[in-house]
Amino acid sequence: MSAPEGFEPKIVAYVCNWCTYLGADLAGTARLEYPPNVRIIRLPCTGRIDTNLVIKALEIGADAVLVSGCHPGDCHYSAGNYHARRRWMLFRDLLEVVGFDMRRLHFSWISAAEGRKFQQVITEITDATRALGPYRPYEAPARPFEENGSARPADVREKNFERSRQELRAAARRLLEEGKVKVVIGHGARGPVFIARPEETARLEWSAHSLANLTVYLKRPEVRALGAAAVVVKGCDERALVVLEKESQLRREELQVIGVACDGLGQAKCETCETHQPRFADITVGGAEAQSAPAAARYMELERFLEKPPEERLAYWTAEFDRCLKCYACRQVCPMCYCERCLADKNRPQAIDTSPDRKGNFAWQLSRAIHLAGRCVGCDECARACPAAIDLRLLNLALARAAETQFGYRAGMDPALEPVVGAYSLQDKEEFIR
Amino acid sequence: MQNPYRPDLMEVIDVRQHTADVKSVRLRFRDAARAGEFGFRVGQFGIFSAFGAGESTFNICSSSNWRDHIEFCFRKVGRVTDALWEAGEGDTLGFRGPYGNGYPMEEWRGKDLIFLGGGIAMPPIRCAIWYALENRANFGAITIVYGARTVGDLVFRDELEQWAGHERVRVIQCVDPGGETPDWKGEIGFVPTVFERAQVPAENAVALVIGPPIMIKNTIPVLERTGAKMANVYTSLENRMKCGIGKCGRCNAGPVYVCKEGPVFTFEALRAMPMDY
Amino acid sequence: MSQRVSKDELRQRVGAWIAGGKMVAGPVRVKAGTVLYAPLTKADTLLLDGWTRPANSIKEFVFPRHEALYGYSIDATGITLHEAAPDLRRQVIVGAHPCDAAALEILDKLFNWDYRDDFYNRRRAAATIVTLACAAHDDECFCTSVGLGPAAERGSDVMLFDAGDGSYEARCVTEKGAALWGAEIDRAPAGKRAEAAGPAPRFDPAEVAAFAKEHFENPFWREQALACLGCGACAYTCPVCHCFDIVDEGNPRGGVRARNWDACQFALFTAHASGHNPRPAQGARQRQRIYHKFLMYPEKFGEILCTGCGNCARNCPAGLGVLPLVSEICHAESV
Repeated sequence: MSAPEGFEPKIVAYVCNWCTYLGADLAGTARLEYPPNVRIIRLPCTGRIDTNLVIKALEIGADAVLVSGCHPGDCHYSAGNYHARRRWMLFRDLLEVVGFDMRRLHFSWISAAEGRKFQQVITEITDATRALGPYRPYEAPARPFEENGSARPADVREKNFERSRQELRAAARRLLEEGKVKVVIGHGARGPVFIARPEETARLEWSAHSLANLTVYLKRPEVRALGAAAVVVKGCDERALVVLEKESQLRREELQVIGVACDGLGQAKCETCETHQPRFADITVGGAEAQSAPAAARYMELERFLEKPPEERLAYWTAEFDRCLKCYACRQVCPMCYCERCLADKNRPQAIDTSPDRKGNFAWQLSRAIHLAGRCVGCDECARACPAAIDLRLLNLALARAAETQFGYRAGMDPALEPVVGAYSLQDKEEFIR
Repeated sequence: MQNPYRPDLMEVIDVRQHTADVKSVRLRFRDAARAGEFGFRVGQFGIFSAFGAGESTFNICSSSNWRDHIEFCFRKVGRVTDALWEAGEGDTLGFRGPYGNGYPMEEWRGKDLIFLGGGIAMPPIRCAIWYALENRANFGAITIVYGARTVGDLVFRDELEQWAGHERVRVIQCVDPGGETPDWKGEIGFVPTVFERAQVPAENAVALVIGPPIMIKNTIPVLERTGAKMANVYTSLENRMKCGIGKCGRCNAGPVYVCKEGPVFTFEALRAMPMDY
Repeated sequence: MSQRVSKDELRQRVGAWIAGGKMVAGPVRVKAGTVLYAPLTKADTLLLDGWTRPANSIKEFVFPRHEALYGYSIDATGITLHEAAPDLRRQVIVGAHPCDAAALEILDKLFNWDYRDDFYNRRRAAATIVTLACAAHDDECFCTSVGLGPAAERGSDVMLFDAGDGSYEARCVTEKGAALWGAEIDRAPAGKRAEAAGPAPRFDPAEVAAFAKEHFENPFWREQALACLGCGACAYTCPVCHCFDIVDEGNPRGGVRARNWDACQFALFTAHASGHNPRPAQGARQRQRIYHKFLMYPEKFGEILCTGCGNCARNCPAGLGVLPLVSEICHAESV
């Protein structure tokens, strides 16, 4: 798209107080002219710059966004820029999948002494953005794909269901009778059940409806009030326990984990399952014969999606996010969404607009995704819970692939590994940073 | 088309700061015609807004006899009140109202009036007090017991002094033990305790009790002991509101919408309502 | 007099409505496994095969998820308010289920209680509802328990009955329907029109109301709500849930004050700025849902705030919903 005559781009630059801001200041005092198109927003540190600020800039009409801070090793707060860099790596991967124009997003290290560099960077970005033209991602057409959604895998192998059922009930009964736990969180006929008495263990089921990731209940105050708990998990659910423990949200020794070996329950995720067998359970029940899917299959859906050009990707996600109701079912079913007060529920400032319109939906969906980057275990409960059938599974794959390709990390697989978010490496990739 | 959500634009004509985090604001309608036709009953509330921040619900704490302005009083606790706090003379705020049922002042004629309030609950009582004083002949003896945690938390202190100067009006101010200053001349104690000490006869009285739940809980027995009937003891309920007109479904306490069938309730009615507020 | 229309003829009518500039919506297969009421750009996308209960409702066409109430602009001279300019094109909802159409008559009462909500009224007036009577139901349906049924006509302007041979019998129920369809109003009784057996009634709403009134403080609610995660899926997919929030969105130069859907299941729905929350636990919030639907709304407006569509249960990730909860109530009552 060619730029209209006389178009002047609006550039928003989020800069850190100690380096880039002073660099900009130096450019000023040294009379180094740079284009007036840039609006500079000063924050203490790039580590403080939440990605929803970048999204906000695009929401309010920025044609390009720059995030700039101290060089690695020079951060006023020691490591803020390392955390920022890692966050940017994941964020860029996410935005690429969603189809944003990555030429609009810029990152740089500019020190307090680099007034000239500041002038150069701003001039380059302004000139490049002027040539690209205005950026209106929220006016993209909404185009669902014709061949939408993978067909549900039809067969659910019920062969071991009865065995799982019986063994589950027996294990639960034992735990309750021995007083090891006060409540067993398991699956009932319709949904999760909370069994407090041995006689009631007959209500525990194992079926194609046993889809919920029950680890989400470990944070609910009403459930915690019931006392020491046992939780029934499939191999996919169990990964959440690893992450929760790493993030200090549960004490593993206070929990009894009943793992169910599972051949798959007919969900899309089951086709690429690599955790049919629970790995960390206190008690394992049932039997699974299915083989782990090969690693090559892991991101196939996403890789097919990435063959489409960015404009088509954005049109797809626009159609998907347009259906969002802001019911927050995705957040409520996620074991990793345990903040006592979600960022979306805070209004000083309103970081994420609450309205279920296009901008508000993008803000929510992207913020939720980036807050789960490196933490999402791919249980896909969010996708199942979404009443608007938004393709959250694909978004989860994007997050998982970003964490794996960038950091060799898969959330919830190896308890010994340092988490991706909250940690950093001096070797984290820099090539996208000026 | 009628737009029941559209506010009137109001000009701020006066701002008074009462405590570190409480202000009251006087507003006048920018539209003179609206000013002329507007009226309300004391005890009703309005939805006040700072454009860009949002709306919030406050009692209209001025007397309905005052034709040139309305007033509301608020504590700075969140996004909207932060924005309201910044309002100065000449600024524009929004107002929707009056909403709610108000105090049945006609039914209170001939009765003694007992006003019991705690802390930030004075404003919804203040409007009734002024109204009563302006129609003095209609009411019997007036007793006001108003307390707060500390001296610094008392609001409308100058008006409390004025009220004490009126005929057959008894004003007792109190602060919680430990909340007094060296020059404090009022009582020390919780409102229910101080009220009991005051030995106010209540057989021919109507009482308006507004304050934190603990204060109300301990005041009711005192009222009962002094002869009040719960059908003659009133309160103004607070509940989170948004639309104020019975549509958004947020403020119901059991079967009643606080915005439409309240916020003024007798304790007899309150006791029949489930604990949903 | 009822008319026969083939599926093709119905699609042709739909195409004509679209071409005539109306907003037309109906059940659409949005993706494999998901059917939603959505605006149609082409008549072909209207789903007319088999019986599927869309995962959403038609309330969003008269009560949008997000609606500007008015705009405001701020400059040196002060603040100016601007009337909202909603899209009030004539709209047709075709293929509505009876449980969705009936919801509109139920909502009319609230949106006109003392204060007329013309945002709702105008869209309602602009909407013509062409309802397809249900030829089937699933285990989550319970319309017959709340005074409705698979051929209920409440809220409908035109009724279509599947004749089983690829055609429909069309009957105009109101003036609006007659005007759209181009036929006379047919006041004849249903006769031998296909009245598929609806679900057997499962409970008596009056018993539910009595339970809610009598057992407000019962630990029953807490126990039933343990699985509830406090999302808004049930409320947002419900044809009659209508709670909303009012927010300001904009920048220092101006913006809109808008209303957005809200839900009593959210933890912060009733939270006061002081920190006090009348409904601090999920049990109280689940109780509120039943109370509002079966006790409060009937007492105020003479209508049950539920049409038995089953969307809450179908959409709930934890398998809860009005029918499961009410079934527990009846079970609790009987022991």
